[in-house]
Amino acid sequence: MSDVATTSPAPRVFSAVLGSPALRLIVKRLLTAIPILLGVSILMFVLLNLIPGSAALQLLGPEATPEQIARLEHDMGLDRPPVERYLEWLWNALQGDLGRSLVSRQPVTDVLPTRLAVTGELVALAFLISLTVAIPLALLAARRPNRFLDRVSMVVSTAGLSVANYVLALLLVLLFAVKLGWFPAIGYTPVSKGLGDNLYSLALPAFAMAFPLLCFYTRFLRGDLVDQMQGEDYVMTARAKGLGPWQVLLRHAFRNSSFGLITIVGLNISGLIGATVIIESIFSLPGIGQYLLQGILTRDYIVVQAIVIIFAIITVLANLMADVLYAVLDPRIRYGTN
Amino acid sequence: MALTEVQVSSSAVVADETAPTRTRAWLRKLHIGVPAGLLLLIFFACFVLPLVAPIPKPTGGDILNSLQPAFTPGHILGTDDNGNDILARILVGGRTSLFVALTVNLLGLVIGGGLGALAAQAGGIVDSIIMRLFDVLIAIPSLALIVAVSLSLGPGVRNTILTLSFFSVPAFARISRAETLRLREQPFMVAARLSGTSTWRIVVRHLAPNIGPQLMTFAMLGLGIVMVIEGALSFLGLGIRPPAPSWGNMIFQGQLSLSGTPMLVVWPSIALFLTVVGFNQLGEAVRLRWSGR
Amino acid sequence: MRIRAKACLLLAGALVVAGCTKPDETGDNNQAAVPQRGGELTVLLDSAFSGSWPSGLDPATNTTGGGNLTQMSSIYGGLFRLVADDDGKNAKVIPHQAAGYEFTDSGKTVKIKIKPGIKFTDGTALDAAAVVFNIKRDMEATCTCKPTWQLADQDPITAEGTDTVVLKFKQPNAAVINSFVVANVNWVVSPTALQSMGPDAFRIKPVGAGPFKVVSNALSSELVLERNPDYFVKDRPYLDKLTIRSIGGDQPAYQALQAGQGQVYEGMTTIPLLEQAKKNSQLVVTQQPATSPYVIQLNTKIPPFNDKRAREAIYYATNGEAIRQGLFKGAYPLSQSFTADGGLFHHPTVPGYRTYDLEKAKALVQQLGGLTVDLGTLKAYVADQVNTALQTQWEAAGIKTTIHSEQLNGLIQNFIGGKWQAMLQTAGAWDPAVGVGVGFRFSSGVPFSGVSDPTIDSLLQQAGQSTDPAQRDALYMQVGQRISDEAYAPFILAFAPASVVTKNVHGPGLTTLIPPVVVNTAILWDEVWMSQA
Repeated sequence: MSDVATTSPAPRVFSAVLGSPALRLIVKRLLTAIPILLGVSILMFVLLNLIPGSAALQLLGPEATPEQIARLEHDMGLDRPPVERYLEWLWNALQGDLGRSLVSRQPVTDVLPTRLAVTGELVALAFLISLTVAIPLALLAARRPNRFLDRVSMVVSTAGLSVANYVLALLLVLLFAVKLGWFPAIGYTPVSKGLGDNLYSLALPAFAMAFPLLCFYTRFLRGDLVDQMQGEDYVMTARAKGLGPWQVLLRHAFRNSSFGLITIVGLNISGLIGATVIIESIFSLPGIGQYLLQGILTRDYIVVQAIVIIFAIITVLANLMADVLYAVLDPRIRYGTN
Repeated sequence: MALTEVQVSSSAVVADETAPTRTRAWLRKLHIGVPAGLLLLIFFACFVLPLVAPIPKPTGGDILNSLQPAFTPGHILGTDDNGNDILARILVGGRTSLFVALTVNLLGLVIGGGLGALAAQAGGIVDSIIMRLFDVLIAIPSLALIVAVSLSLGPGVRNTILTLSFFSVPAFARISRAETLRLREQPFMVAARLSGTSTWRIVVRHLAPNIGPQLMTFAMLGLGIVMVIEGALSFLGLGIRPPAPSWGNMIFQGQLSLSGTPMLVVWPSIALFLTVVGFNQLGEAVRLRWSGR
Repeated sequence: MRIRAKACLLLAGALVVAGCTKPDETGDNNQAAVPQRGGELTVLLDSAFSGSWPSGLDPATNTTGGGNLTQMSSIYGGLFRLVADDDGKNAKVIPHQAAGYEFTDSGKTVKIKIKPGIKFTDGTALDAAAVVFNIKRDMEATCTCKPTWQLADQDPITAEGTDTVVLKFKQPNAAVINSFVVANVNWVVSPTALQSMGPDAFRIKPVGAGPFKVVSNALSSELVLERNPDYFVKDRPYLDKLTIRSIGGDQPAYQALQAGQGQVYEGMTTIPLLEQAKKNSQLVVTQQPATSPYVIQLNTKIPPFNDKRAREAIYYATNGEAIRQGLFKGAYPLSQSFTADGGLFHHPTVPGYRTYDLEKAKALVQQLGGLTVDLGTLKAYVADQVNTALQTQWEAAGIKTTIHSEQLNGLIQNFIGGKWQAMLQTAGAWDPAVGVGVGFRFSSGVPFSGVSDPTIDSLLQQAGQSTDPAQRDALYMQVGQRISDEAYAPFILAFAPASVVTKNVHGPGLTTLIPPVVVNTAILWDEVWMSQA
């Protein structure tokens, strides 16, 4: 990605006007996002078409005969070539029309916002909880490596990683909902009915999702921090200058370690939707994970494409932020400004 | 290299100053020895023991024997709901789980790690193309990718490895690239580039030893995660198809009736836990050794 | 002083009363108790089956309508319903929104009278015209949830006056009334509401004349219903609010019931959890009667099962009794035909049925030079376990078996592809002529059937047309005999799911038995009540 500053007038004006290289970076990345999003939608469409079956089967029910299926597929336009169906979808999508579900006939844009809000809040809470606990924990552990806190947190986080999140969810429900009755076992209360109730209903699911993340981040960050503290020559320099260990840890080691952490968090965002399916099903949350899964199982490609493209946009934006953060955190890495 | 030697001696000054050197050396041996021993035991139990010892078959159990408790004669850990011996299923299932997890992470480490480092080092159009391709894969929600790929390919060990590699490879690539970018501007890296060392040689001789530890940590963490995710695939009817056991699908089948059959979840979870702990501790210890500290 | 003494007496009295009440009351021995008005009840449904309604709740298009009985009957009530004595015996289909019916023209015409004065929740009348509109619409819809009626060519569905609906068939259709309760024609929508909302919006917020009306509907997630104050049955429903939620399976549902976030879970099948629930004093488990036995369909159109010896080998290699003991703890009797003791025309044995005999199975396999089978099923907890047990049993006879389970879409694909060899399914229904009954699994020319036998076709047709129960009984016995003689498909046992409710809930189909017409028991929601204590 090394850009050499050009000499023709227009780009110079351009760069002068825009100023900060971070802004240039954002623009450039947004431009590259377009082929990525196209690639995502094409890949998903291809994958869906490779799976045998169609929405017509779902609509007809278990007693459908091949003739009935063929007729309905024709009526719904499902027997047209995939390229044609894809281009039609793309054309509509670019105009903001994500289509109507093949199975329920509901406009996708009617259903998505509420479901996204549920899953979005769940994921946001999970990240919040996990990072809020993981970062201080990792810092404390790395401050005194191989001492008690470090050992204990490492063992606990390793244990946490070997527990499946659905088992954890069930155990949490068993303890906190069934035995203690402190939290509800299922259900979702929207924010409109009160923020307190809303958070209360998401407490257990958010924690079930956060715990594995927490363990992962703690281990990863701690490992990276310890590496930094014991290895890099700038650490030696800093200590020689008289900086205390906490200052070194926070200002330098953590700053560098956050590269890895940011990368992982960015990777997790689209990965988490897989985890949310199971959590949503156990806690009966009306989220997007279930909607996506149902869409795939009923071969409702309109719904699936819509969800996938929205998530792709979110992921691209998240990774873009990650890249910007890299550039901000480390002045040595400013693409094209050597 | 001179630089790393300086680092070693300085780390001796900066590092923790507690126990005398001889005990530290002993502890270091233990750090590697204990997890290594545990893992060897697990590997032996899973790969060798079923071949030599008279362990019952993991499938094909008598339905009349279903859900026997632990310490029933002939079934030291009891039986599952189809009458299969749980210990046998854990051993044979371990084989599958370990194989899948190791392969997926190995593929990720080598292909993903390699491509990521290459992309970062080469820069320019190579970087763009490689990373954009991975970005496409990363941008698709994992659920959609897993279900779609698995529904077309079907369940089974090979397809599970393939499906999960769709995630491990881009993930490793991104980590590796981020780490490489960080290191790229280090003096020794700049020096290597300026002195005309080929990209490939830079990656192998200079990058790998330095980003290796980070990737190893990631890989060790990834092992446990893959074993658990593989079980979650059962939720969608994919992954390793029962009655063939794997720790993941045993845990998944067990939790369907958790309140009634908790031990079906506990036993494979213990096996999974010990293995994950072993790998992580070993990884830590080896990493410390490798980076010379 | 006096006040304190009084208080002490009261306290003592209360303690005496409390002491007299038995602490561990299970079962519905509160039947003598008077139903109470009021209460808000949450029903949990398994998202893999009844908790899934992706196509909306319009009977003309709800393909999962057969599994969504709770949703449909709460909103629409139903022209007919299945009722039974508390112990599940003497089950019969009675008119509900219908007033009565009579057959004329030797059974080819049926006249259904509609009760007067029933109104939809939008105020319009549920009369013969509305019913005719509905039945016409349902029969023309693409959904396979409509009944398999052979309607006459000329004016098959007409109204006579404002209160009588006339249906004309090509042949006598004795089972027509029974077929209502599992078909979409049972649910009458308000034509006015349908026309003003349009079908797309209607399926999300339907308007019917049932005990409850729709407040909100998040498909396959949550349906919120409130009491219909103008319900045509006086002082019903008892409940004020009914919330239907989808949940991911028996285990989370069980925990939700324990934690108090749900009061009813329909259709629990996980046996270890049922054992736990039975021991739980806060819950009441009611095992409904069984009406559809498990059957191993064998595809007789292609190898290996076009060879009768291969089919016989399967019969001899299948140990139903072991499955019954090992999996179900002896709870259900074995079936040798497509009927079970909760349904009509049941006979426990078929003369000459090939029961478990491992030696004969091995001998046949040897004669065949080996046998390899692919055995599939619809993904479900019990079905997977039965398949696994069958695999083990068949391997003992030398039959190499691979098993797999599919989601619905995949299963249909398997059947239609025609390459399937063996499928574990359920066959039969409360009335063998209705729903996913016998015809579906054993008629010729249907992709879901492994059998192509004109004798069976004609017997089934006659049985569907005959109005004489004794004759139908004899005909179904003959069908069972033929299936057994030709070794078309071995049967195992009929397993019925259980309803699990918190102990303050009572109702027909929940705490009393009603045979499921097809899979799930149709709960009479307008009669369900909660003790307020």
